[in-house]
Amino acid sequence: MTVQRTDVVIIGAGHSGLAMSRRLTERSIDHVVLERGAVAHSWRAERWPGLRLLTPNWQTRLPGGGYQGDDPDGHLAAAEVAELLAHYARQIDAPVQQQTTVEQVRADGDGAYSIQSDQGGWNARSVVIASGANSVPHLPDCAAALPSTITQVTTRDYRGPTTLPEGGVLVVGAAATGAQLADELARAGRRVVLSVGEHVRLPRDYRGRDVFWWMDRSGVLDERFDEVDDIVRARHVPSPQLVGSAERRAVDLAALRELGVELVGRLGTVRDGVALFSGGLANTVRLADLKAERLLDRFDAWAAATEAPVDAAVDAPHRLEPTQVDPSPRLMLDLQKQGITTVIWATGFRPRYDWLDVPVLDAKGRVRHEGGVVDAPGLYLLGASLLRRRRSTYIDGAAQDSLELAEHLAAHLQSSPRESALAAGPALV
Amino acid sequence: MTNSSCSPVKPPSVTLRNPPSRNVTMLDARARAGLPSLQPPHARPAHAAHDCRETTMSTTTAPVDNGVNSDALLGARDALRESPAAAQFTWRATSEWVRGTHSKQTIDRFIGLGAEQQHKKAFVLEGDHPEVFASEDHAPTPVETVLAALAGCLTAGVAAVAQNRGIQLRSVTAVVEGDHDILGILGGDPEVRNGFNDVRVTFDIDADASKEDIAALVAQSQKRSAVFDALTNPTNVTVSVA
Ligand SMILES: Cc1cc2nc3c(=O)[nH]c(=O)nc-3n(C[C@H](O)[C@H](O)[C@H](O)COP(=O)(O)OP(=O)(O)OC[C@H]3O[C@@H](n4cnc5c(N)ncnc54)[C@H](O)[C@@H]3O)c2cc1C
Repeated sequence: MTVQRTDVVIIGAGHSGLAMSRRLTERSIDHVVLERGAVAHSWRAERWPGLRLLTPNWQTRLPGGGYQGDDPDGHLAAAEVAELLAHYARQIDAPVQQQTTVEQVRADGDGAYSIQSDQGGWNARSVVIASGANSVPHLPDCAAALPSTITQVTTRDYRGPTTLPEGGVLVVGAAATGAQLADELARAGRRVVLSVGEHVRLPRDYRGRDVFWWMDRSGVLDERFDEVDDIVRARHVPSPQLVGSAERRAVDLAALRELGVELVGRLGTVRDGVALFSGGLANTVRLADLKAERLLDRFDAWAAATEAPVDAAVDAPHRLEPTQVDPSPRLMLDLQKQGITTVIWATGFRPRYDWLDVPVLDAKGRVRHEGGVVDAPGLYLLGASLLRRRRSTYIDGAAQDSLELAEHLAAHLQSSPRESALAAGPALV
Repeated sequence: MTNSSCSPVKPPSVTLRNPPSRNVTMLDARARAGLPSLQPPHARPAHAAHDCRETTMSTTTAPVDNGVNSDALLGARDALRESPAAAQFTWRATSEWVRGTHSKQTIDRFIGLGAEQQHKKAFVLEGDHPEVFASEDHAPTPVETVLAALAGCLTAGVAAVAQNRGIQLRSVTAVVEGDHDILGILGGDPEVRNGFNDVRVTFDIDADASKEDIAALVAQSQKRSAVFDALTNPTNVTVSVA
């Protein structure tokens, strides 16, 4: 089989891979983007139809592109994100080879990488992993203990309230996705029990501005990975309980409770068809309230100290109502007796690296890297939570992350020119 | 919806009272804390001001000493992340029946950091039932020992978190109460569970910190408390006969 040669192979044509492609084009670095599906595959195939970004349109910024419509404060639907990225790929003329699944990447001795796909092989001096951080739904072990009469759905496979069997729904996990699905299902008239572990409460708006305006301006999103107290913990902080909606609706626990969603503690285990929940709900709620308060304190301190006349542009500081939960929430739920027919696992995702044959994974299967510079020369990672800064967690982070990593990558190519490879003659294997 | 009678686990509700300005002798938190002495496999330079960016802490510049070695704990955390096998601990108590409801538990050895470990000396706890249970009351009831363990664990957590956040503690007291319907254990009512129906912890903390920071301290100590977790979450327990 022929092996094609290029300087850089980018794996994945989501926004991260495309942003990197743009940066390499800016530097005239030869590269290819390999994508197992179509551009923005994850937004087409792995998100539910009702999903909207929780970040405002103005924040869907990409190098040389991004949102250019007339509703900067709106929120794109999943299909619109896919459309935006497909447009972006054309706009930046990204060399994407679609329907090409990377099956193996290994270091090939002379400082290059050999990339095998179902459409042939590549030899490249550098590889950018942009295959997504949200590939495989992560389920707790007790999923296996659920009775077979219960329908289990991951958030990757969920396709809306009408696609679920009739009856009550237990949503496990109260990050953005769990909170949004509890909201969507309760509005569709379902009985919903939401199992809440550690979570992040944020108001949609604060002092008359979107919370992302505050995070963007005040520098919260620019906090770097090497400035954060405990980076492992920080990278595992759940996404905030926010939803994008025209009416700027809240999906925090108070709002969900008002909709009739029953809040219970973290799912501990399932025994004999009975789900057992933690009795620590009050504390997780308290922690989230305290954390939200600290963030608002930080916004206020920034607004008071900043040179720009911010205080004039925003309302007076105020504080959030403490979240009320049942002082004795349910600790057991007999699923069948209580009419629960579906369990939705909104318990997060893990990346998938089974194709990565370079020894850069730690004991937990995470890529070892310093701000995206992987522990193997020429290997880079893009599109992971808090990769280089808090902003990296969002689409908006790719612009700067890709700029900085492309600079590192270019220096790597410079310092290890492909002499030996050239001397080896045409690469026909 | 409340569902207390059949609950497998009950939430200890932890509440806070405002710190009254009382003078209590400062306790040696290290002695109280019962923290395992985690010697990091490779010591890490002690950094004077631990980064508390996430927690907007008091801006005290005087060195805070709650008798907790934060740097050792943080160093151990980082080191154990690298060698997770060493983080696997097995705690152990041995027990011997004395007479009636009276028994003695000895706590001496445990496994951790990849080796058999030993306390500085063997500690002995005892369990019995009070006279109202027609017992001889030689020692606390085991359920009371559970409450004591919860207080010990949360208090250790308060001291450790305070140290890490640069908060000087002056006194930390707590009252722990557990509501218990004994018809359960007597087999008098099949609807009643054997364990606690409700556990309440009330802390009284005098410290150089705002009310909010103290509340955050207590919340964080619950978040990282092994006994709080053991009481609030289901755990597999296997009892066998050797
Ligand atoms: C439910 C949900 C909601 C989110 N909402 C927001 C939001 O509101 N705002 C925000 O900023 N961020 C949001 N995010 C976070 C983040 O922006 C998205 O996860 C985004 O899709 C990540 O982009 P990416 O390019 O890094 O990865 P992906 O979009 O996952 O792209 C990776 C690409 O790699 C391809 N690929 C994977 N493996 C291979 C392989 N072996 N060979 C070839 N190709 C491969 C995939 O097909 C995919 O197209 C959300 C995430 C989720 C899961």
